[in-house]
Amino acid sequence: MVWRNIWRNPRRSILTVLAIVFATMLLVFMLSWQFGSYDTMINTAVKVHTGHVQVQAEGYHDRMDIWRVVPDPDALSRVLGEIPEIETTTVRANAFSLVSSEDRTYGVLLIGIDPEKEATVSTLQKLIRRGEYLGKNDSNAALVGELLAENLKVDIGDELVILGQGRDGSVAASVLTVKGIFSSGEDSFDRSSVHMPLGYFQDVFSMRGAVHEVVILGRSLDAVEAIKGKIKRRIRIVDDHAKMVVLDWMELMPGLVQSIKMDLVSALIMYAILIVVVAFSILNTFLMAIFERTREFGVLMAMGTTPGRLMKFLMYESVTITLIGIVLGIIGGSLFTWYFQVHGIMISGASEFLSQYGLPERMYPKLSILSIGLGAGIVLVITLLTALYPALKVRRLRPVEAITAV
Amino acid sequence: MRKRVALILSLTVAFFVFLCGSLWATDVEDLVREAINYYRGEASFSTVDMTIHRPGWERTLTIKAWTKGQKDSLFTIVAPPKDNGNGTLKRGKEMWMFNPKVNRVIKLPPSMMSQSWMGSDFSNNDLAKSDSIIEDYTHEITGTETHDGKKVYVITSMPKPGAPVVWGMQKLMIREDFIFLSQEFYDEDLLLVKAMTGREIQMLGGKLFPRIWTMQKIDTEDEYTVLDYGEIVFMESLPDDLFTISSLKNPRR
Repeated sequence: MVWRNIWRNPRRSILTVLAIVFATMLLVFMLSWQFGSYDTMINTAVKVHTGHVQVQAEGYHDRMDIWRVVPDPDALSRVLGEIPEIETTTVRANAFSLVSSEDRTYGVLLIGIDPEKEATVSTLQKLIRRGEYLGKNDSNAALVGELLAENLKVDIGDELVILGQGRDGSVAASVLTVKGIFSSGEDSFDRSSVHMPLGYFQDVFSMRGAVHEVVILGRSLDAVEAIKGKIKRRIRIVDDHAKMVVLDWMELMPGLVQSIKMDLVSALIMYAILIVVVAFSILNTFLMAIFERTREFGVLMAMGTTPGRLMKFLMYESVTITLIGIVLGIIGGSLFTWYFQVHGIMISGASEFLSQYGLPERMYPKLSILSIGLGAGIVLVITLLTALYPALKVRRLRPVEAITAV
Repeated sequence: MRKRVALILSLTVAFFVFLCGSLWATDVEDLVREAINYYRGEASFSTVDMTIHRPGWERTLTIKAWTKGQKDSLFTIVAPPKDNGNGTLKRGKEMWMFNPKVNRVIKLPPSMMSQSWMGSDFSNNDLAKSDSIIEDYTHEITGTETHDGKKVYVITSMPKPGAPVVWGMQKLMIREDFIFLSQEFYDEDLLLVKAMTGREIQMLGGKLFPRIWTMQKIDTEDEYTVLDYGEIVFMESLPDDLFTISSLKNPRR
């Protein structure tokens, strides 16, 4: 009965189904796209500097005092090597110090890096604009941020004097030669950081082999929780009375989490508008169906059909149409999204600009149960709510008036 | 008649009170100025042991310091040997640092003036006991105490509008014989950030002087810096060429 009713006016039913299919597809794709772009954003951001997870001395993240160190990074690295979810790691040491050129002085963050391992974790090597990346045998070489180089008025081959505080509190000073100039696109990073080889850093700042950050890159963003848990469990083995903490990217970059949250909220408002539009168009088709069929309902009621039974019929019809629409929408949307997930979406014209900042030139949407279910679920609820209104309207029909209605 | 006498009397009293009131303001300023002059002298030479205490470790530097007037000072580290020869020169509001290992002089940008000096709890500004407290602040006596039988003035100093200062308020304790007992530093929200206190007042360089100074950060109990004056000599003057970059590079014995 329900099925026959639906196909009595195929054009109307198909239009309604199409509206639902379209809305579902759009939501599935948009949500997947959005989650995919967040993944790209996070992965790009962690590769600029912080990594997915870091091990640091307790309190170092809040107050970067040079004496809050990870004393034995080698022992820790051995432990980390046993965790399969970890793709690669590197170690760094940081010190705030004065950096002075011929006639300018600035306070910067001096970062000691292991050139080879660093290249596997961060995009630093690709960010070099002029000069060269640090080599294995470099000692007093430095990579300077582009904005800092401008401020200091230095170029490749120029000398920089650094003056800071060693781990033991002694005065640490050295002369570095600028070997490369990098630009990450993140102004604060380019304006206030200088990289130098870790070994030489440890000499100058009397680090006695210690570092400040063990930076870990997981195989994927989803593995972060697992990695964090495993490190926490195993860290006690190496923890020789030095308190160490494990921080993930959310704790390391709270700003990024906030900007994602903000983006998500503004997107949700967009979706709300979209859903309202869809809901009204569906309401419209359902209402029209009832007006067209007023006479039919009148006859049915005159024959003794109770309004409750009529309402039930109408609801069944709506649910059937909605379900067909949503199933088709999910299939269509998933296929559509999956195609782009495999092939990526080329942002034409922007590839050069993107690669300059270490971003991939193709963006990939990410299909997940959440992105599929969320869109489809919202459409389902909204459609059923809209279908309820015409169904309730039927209850107020009087048989005689209905039969004579146009 | 009696009423008129009373009126004249009260007017006179009121006048004197007014006069004293206006004198009071300059008095406070003079008091602060005198205290700083007393602290620094016309010119001085001193040897100081500076102990930096942090949770887990402690470190002592020996510093030779020359000061002249309220603006010029020169510091050279003589011990430990690792840091021997590192120096700091301050002339007016400008500051330079010298490191013998790289044999370079670095001029400190103004933005670094509030940073810690040699990792201690003293900022570059604090160390030279700059005249900022006189020029950039207005002072008011907000209480008195007694210390060793002498009167101690508690002075609240607020920055003048638009003055280029770091602190939102300072509280000074100055004994009536112009000896500084303490200086408290408050931020813009008038919360105490750090406090410097002097103790063990004794004869040093021919006058009474607190031999030990402690700079304590308020939020952490285990972090402080102690200055222990081993020797201090107050002089009429020191030659101007002492406070130059060339003498920063070649410290006198």
